[in-house]
Amino acid sequence: MIENKSSIELSRKSRIDIVKMTFHANASHSGSSLSSIDILSVLYFSIVDLEKIKTLDITRDVIIMSKGHAAAALYSVLVNTGLMDRELIGAYCDDGSLIGGHVTSSVPSIELSTGSLGHGFPYGVGIAISKKRNNHSGNVIIVMSDGECDEGTTWESALLASHFKLNNLIVIIDRNRLQSLRGTEETLALEPLLKKWESFGWDAHEIDGHDHLEIAQAVSRRGSNPKVLIANTVKGKGVSYMENTVLWHYKAPNEEELLLAIKEINES
Amino acid sequence: MRKAFVKSLYEAALADEKILLITGDLGYGVLDIFEKNLPNQFINAGIAEQSMMSLAAGYASTGHRVFVYSIGNFPTIRCLEQIRNDVCFMENNVTIVAVGAGYSYGSQGYSHHALEDISIMRSLPNMKIMIPMDPQDAVDSTSYILSQEGPSYLRIGKDGEPNFESRIERCSINKFKEIRNGSHGTILFTGSIGKNVVRAAESLLAMGIEVSVAGCTNLSFLDSEYLEQAAAKGPILTVEEHATPGGFGSLILEYFAVNGEFPKINILGAARNNLKNIGSQEYLLELNGLSSENIKIQFAALL
Repeated sequence: MIENKSSIELSRKSRIDIVKMTFHANASHSGSSLSSIDILSVLYFSIVDLEKIKTLDITRDVIIMSKGHAAAALYSVLVNTGLMDRELIGAYCDDGSLIGGHVTSSVPSIELSTGSLGHGFPYGVGIAISKKRNNHSGNVIIVMSDGECDEGTTWESALLASHFKLNNLIVIIDRNRLQSLRGTEETLALEPLLKKWESFGWDAHEIDGHDHLEIAQAVSRRGSNPKVLIANTVKGKGVSYMENTVLWHYKAPNEEELLLAIKEINES
Repeated sequence: MRKAFVKSLYEAALADEKILLITGDLGYGVLDIFEKNLPNQFINAGIAEQSMMSLAAGYASTGHRVFVYSIGNFPTIRCLEQIRNDVCFMENNVTIVAVGAGYSYGSQGYSHHALEDISIMRSLPNMKIMIPMDPQDAVDSTSYILSQEGPSYLRIGKDGEPNFESRIERCSINKFKEIRNGSHGTILFTGSIGKNVVRAAESLLAMGIEVSVAGCTNLSFLDSEYLEQAAAKGPILTVEEHATPGGFGSLILEYFAVNGEFPKINILGAARNNLKNIGSQEYLLELNGLSSENIKIQFAALL
């Protein structure tokens, strides 16, 4: 069931948790987390069956956060959907914490630890093949970064998923157009990205990665091929001074910046 | 060894549909039986080792037991980070099967010489390492792996190795397998280099030196009782078709560094100052210090 109003509320709460977490831990990747939070909010609120994830039902939808550096986004959504204890994010990156700056599978609802790019997609291909061969329903949904398209395993996996006709596999690319040092097109040009995926035999669509209804509808459509959604996003979305800058790939907010961020998110 | 492994895995897979075999587009003429008779338990992942390894881990995470088959360095060093993160850290039931140990593919060049894999696999967490010495041992190792949970590495030679007829008994996989017994010292080995070790022991006998010879299959579970008896008896030489840093000999040195007193010991492995030389397995073994003659000389030097 698609209830985009509630997923918007989930994304607002989660945005606040993200900036609080990066402030608390003096950690990087606020921008990457804010660009992908709408995608994750829709997936966890409107797409998956949370009970199946809680019980690790073999027919569950499997979500893999391959852009492991946006860990704060995943953790905050899991907390706000009841899949993880809030206490855990209160200790984000602390000594002895179970959750670190890159996605750590210390809680059962996190399927895979990531952090090195290009691992989540082929891992998800393995799960998707298993689901098909063993007649288990549920999709495998990979959330990856656009910079991750630099990795060779992305294109190996694009071949594999197409070859095995994995129409139970959905890749969502957080297309915020900024990577570690510069823009994606200045670094290692990806365009024409949609055509690349189409030529690999994928159902490829461009969507607005902050429009909850559009995300939900695009994820829900099922065809006969694997599907990629190139979700156009803004790095740092929702906090004006973080938007579209490489600086906020690294910088953590200070107290003043945190309060301003929370104010902007609440007023949006 | 290769055929013995495939046959034993095939028989296990017939009885257990949770077993999956993935190949990195290798195994011509050997894996056909899987592809033909158990298509639902077989994947050819193409020439994409890194994705193949993550794919294997993902498949295993759904409650399956996955074997990944390829040659030498391709399912190990080529996809090391995938093994480290997705297999070992995630504790998935993936067994990496590397055929062509050491110089098995000698004439194919250095890309196909597996000389650093033991060291690298040993350094990974949760990884069990099995190195059979002959075809029967490959069968026993496969059964052992199937009885265990978690990641494992199976390093096998090629085809045509004879079984060690002289082996006293088919003992537990966790015991050192003594092929000869002598009172002047011990040569320990791992893998199919055992045949050169036995020849060296025969030459030593002609010199009046009686040496015990024992093979180690399970590098993750050392037979401390045997090691202590060997240390009490006399000098120890270790032999492996692999470079010495971090390898089998290094494992034995680490054991004695932590447990008890050092015996007089030397470790013998493949020299790597002739990397560009091409030739048969026997030629490269001799060139790089692993001929039965050099094993004999190295042991005699310890007395």
